[in-house]
Amino acid sequence: MPSVEREVRASLLDAALAVFLKDVKTEWRTRVATSALFLFAFAVLVLVGYAVGPTTLSRGDRPPVHSVLLWIVLFFSAMTGLSRVFVREEEVGTAVALRLKSAPAAVLLGKLLANLALLTLVTAFVVPLFLAMMSFEIQGVGLFLWVLLLGNAGLASASTFVAAIVSKGTAKGTMFAVLATPLLLPPLVAAVSATQVAAVEPGLAAGADFLKLLLAYDGVVTTAAFLLFDAVWRE
Amino acid sequence: MLGVAGPNGAGKTTLVKTLAGLLRPSSGDVVLELPGGHRAPRDAPLSIGWAAPDLALYGELTFAENLAFFARVSGLALSAAAIDERIEAVGLSPSRIAMTYSRFLSTGQRQRLKLAYATLNDPPLLFLDEPSSNLDEAGRAVVMKVVAEQRLRGMCVIASNDPRDLALADDTVSL
Repeated sequence: MPSVEREVRASLLDAALAVFLKDVKTEWRTRVATSALFLFAFAVLVLVGYAVGPTTLSRGDRPPVHSVLLWIVLFFSAMTGLSRVFVREEEVGTAVALRLKSAPAAVLLGKLLANLALLTLVTAFVVPLFLAMMSFEIQGVGLFLWVLLLGNAGLASASTFVAAIVSKGTAKGTMFAVLATPLLLPPLVAAVSATQVAAVEPGLAAGADFLKLLLAYDGVVTTAAFLLFDAVWRE
Repeated sequence: MLGVAGPNGAGKTTLVKTLAGLLRPSSGDVVLELPGGHRAPRDAPLSIGWAAPDLALYGELTFAENLAFFARVSGLALSAAAIDERIEAVGLSPSRIAMTYSRFLSTGQRQRLKLAYATLNDPPLLFLDEPSSNLDEAGRAVVMKVVAEQRLRGMCVIASNDPRDLALADDTVSL
């Protein structure tokens, strides 16, 4: 029998961190989701840059068009890779092993952190390139960063929960898009509008209402996900 | 120690999964008598150990990483030395498989990983479905050792077609 061991009370955060680190480690060793996300993001960036470019739009048209295009890239990147955290667990069959050993809330939090990290990486890759390629000038940098943070949190939170739902069914890719799209439209509209504001207005005040909307959305979706996840995960 | 015997398709695996809380019974309830009272299996996952042919563990993690991960999410703090002891307990050399992702392990070695996973928390209730599948004689000895240790801490249900597995049980029910 093992001698050097001690039982500790499972802290939710410690277990969630373990799930997050496991997902990072397995993703680093396979690079399936990151490859798909980055290749998709790069391809869309090149296409958008080629089709729209920095000079084809008048200065006045740039904020609305560029804001929409930026969030289209981020949204479809999310659609491409974020469902994988749960879908792979079910497809490979490891979900049962995980279900028997861990608290549902720890699994959801760990998966949410993994998706947030992945989306943050994609954002860090896409946004500077997009701004440079499109000559998209941001006046309110603080507001823009807040929009990216809260928008990504909303995308990650909703995508993670929907991924858990669709992972047990068939036609997972289609179901993910069908369920996630209406759920993600409200934060996307708010994020696009706030990005437009950030492009022309310095300071946070002009976009404060959109930030509040994004914050409220993130809070509601994340709370609902934690309340409902137990039933979704165990069924 | 209870054995569950029966031909292919009789429902051995379904019964074990239902008792372990992995399947919901179409009618009736499963109630387990566990230390601390009677509970439904879904309310006591850490009291249950389960190893079966369709159990999958993380192929991109090594044997030790799998054990360390599942120990951590279930609230067990296992040192590296304790993990090595767990690996040795199922008859493998920690140093020989240290760098091997579990998807590259042999089928028999993966079966031993499943046994180590199932007994990680020293559960009072252990379900073993075809525990000796893909195991050589040394592996069968590991199964005997696991069942003997389980006898000291609780109950074990063994579902199998193999008479040598069923011989480890005190009673056997046939489906």
